[in-house]
Amino acid sequence: MTLTGLAATLIPLYVIGAAIYVYFASTLEQNQRAQLYNLALNRSNAMQLFLAERTSMLEVLAHTASLGGLTSPGELKKVLTILNEHQHSFIDLGIIDARGDHVAYEGAYPLEEHNYGGEPWFEETMQRGVHISDVFLGFRGVPHFVIAVRREDQPQPWILRATIDSEVFTRLVRSGQIGLTGNAYIVNRSGQFQTPPRFGGNILDQASFSPNIAPPGVSVVSRADPSAGRLMTAFAWMTSKDWLLVIDRDPSEPAAPLRNTLRIELIVLVIASLLVGGAVVFHTRQLVARLASEDRNRVATEAQLAHSARLVSVGRMAAGVAHEINNPLAAIGELAGLMEDLMDDTYLASSTHAELFHENVRKIQLHVDRTRDITHRLLGFARRMEPRQDSVNVNDVAIEALSFIDSEASFRGVALVQQLDPDLPLIKSDRAQLQQVVLNLVNNALDAASEEGRIIVSTRSEPNAVIITVEDNGSGIPLELQSQIFDPFFTTKAPGEGSGLGLSICHTIMKGLGGALTFDSAPGSGTVFSVRLPRTQE
Amino acid sequence: MAIRLLVVDDEEDFLRSIVMRIELRGIEAHGVTSGTAALEYLKANPDMVDVVLLDIKMPGMDGLETLRRIKTFCPSLETIVVTGHASQEFSRLGRELGAFDYLIKPIRLDTILERIQAAYRDRQTTSAE
Repeated sequence: MTLTGLAATLIPLYVIGAAIYVYFASTLEQNQRAQLYNLALNRSNAMQLFLAERTSMLEVLAHTASLGGLTSPGELKKVLTILNEHQHSFIDLGIIDARGDHVAYEGAYPLEEHNYGGEPWFEETMQRGVHISDVFLGFRGVPHFVIAVRREDQPQPWILRATIDSEVFTRLVRSGQIGLTGNAYIVNRSGQFQTPPRFGGNILDQASFSPNIAPPGVSVVSRADPSAGRLMTAFAWMTSKDWLLVIDRDPSEPAAPLRNTLRIELIVLVIASLLVGGAVVFHTRQLVARLASEDRNRVATEAQLAHSARLVSVGRMAAGVAHEINNPLAAIGELAGLMEDLMDDTYLASSTHAELFHENVRKIQLHVDRTRDITHRLLGFARRMEPRQDSVNVNDVAIEALSFIDSEASFRGVALVQQLDPDLPLIKSDRAQLQQVVLNLVNNALDAASEEGRIIVSTRSEPNAVIITVEDNGSGIPLELQSQIFDPFFTTKAPGEGSGLGLSICHTIMKGLGGALTFDSAPGSGTVFSVRLPRTQE
Repeated sequence: MAIRLLVVDDEEDFLRSIVMRIELRGIEAHGVTSGTAALEYLKANPDMVDVVLLDIKMPGMDGLETLRRIKTFCPSLETIVVTGHASQEFSRLGRELGAFDYLIKPIRLDTILERIQAAYRDRQTTSAE
């Protein structure tokens, strides 16, 4: 019973706990995804803005200044200084003619003599007008990338080319790194790192994944990395350059609050389990103790009933014996008394035995007196066993009997229904004995009633009788047993659960009270016991 | 004038002896062995009996029924009911039917005489009123 109670209370508690955890974990993951998505979108916009700003600056310069002006000594240096006035993102500037020759250069590297004719970026710039390169080592042997714009000029077009400080760009990308395990970098279409990742490689190394796994636009995926394990990654393709911004995050790091929640929840569950378990064990023990106590009460009640019945039987027998003896004893006493009366002086003088006869007659009367004292004591005992003549409200008896089984009935889900006649007259009867009978009947009804069944106790009056009925909706009494149920020691209960005396005693008591106990049982639909009491005047 | 007593008991030994003993003590006693005989005697001898000593347990008409009938035609007649069976029920019924007293056999003769005297006095008092 305790285990069932514990399971019934703790399993729902654990299910609720698990549901809360799953809900919390799911919400946290959604938040994490949303955070990564927004970060990737924001950072990629910032980088595109960075590239667009630099490209625009170069285009404005190329289209507003003349080739002669830019190539005049000191002019390019002045322009580079102005461009870097607010942000040192331009490393150098160069003017390249249509053949690929560096016609002017301002920067830290000796590139004035280089010819770029035939290099892919040069070809693309000449064709498309604008070019943003991938990061490369180039002649200078340092990772960098360039932005080049073409100026359609006469007689020939020329190109304004600027090298962008990778460091500035890298800082911009790294601002997307979150927490201790966050990683943010850019890879190009072929999977080369364009900025140095925080973990897992160097600039221009090959990334461990193919950029083709990233869908167009911005997305967040969960992926397995060979070195970092499980990662949650945001991808954002840039629109002005085929670079992919990648922001990785170890999903377990933002789950730290989840672990705290889990820890708190586990502590709460353990405390709740202990409290609930304790309460269940406590209440179960109380319940078992109460049932045991009720069992003991019932056994005691049955024993008391049996004892009462024995006393009544002994009383009746004593009265019967006394009556049978008293009549002949009275005759003996009077016969002897008459003999003594007739023994006058003449008679006493007439015979030598007369005095002895007289003496014996007196002794006979003495023994009659002794015997009378005994039989009168027996009759006194029998009288005490006779039913008392109380003024009895039968409704009160019914209510009291029901109150005895109230708690056990509610425990077993059996409904107790009272249908009492409020105008029932008082009758003269033995209240205690009547109560024994009704209590016995409701006890039997409770045993017979099915789980979730009902017991109806009703009272009514007839011209010459007051009637109490106790009705259960149990399985009824089998026809073949109906003739035996008032027999002493007849029981249908399991051995040890019923003495088989209850109904027999009730039957005897009802006869003693001048009433009757009858029943009407339909096998399968229950039994009605009727107690009929003579309606005597007050 | 002597008290006139009718004794009704189906136990003949008892009846014969007690009638003789009571007569020896100056009371006019007559004995019958059934309720029916008692009613016949009383109807045949109106106003000839002062007190009736009546056994309850008798075959045929029992003492209580006899008492009830006596009271219908002679309500002032005092009756002492006697039985070997002590029962509060008999005692109560006897009193309800108007019995003067209720005694349990065997009874000492002096007790019987004392109750007969008391019943007679009661009858005398009632008649005077």
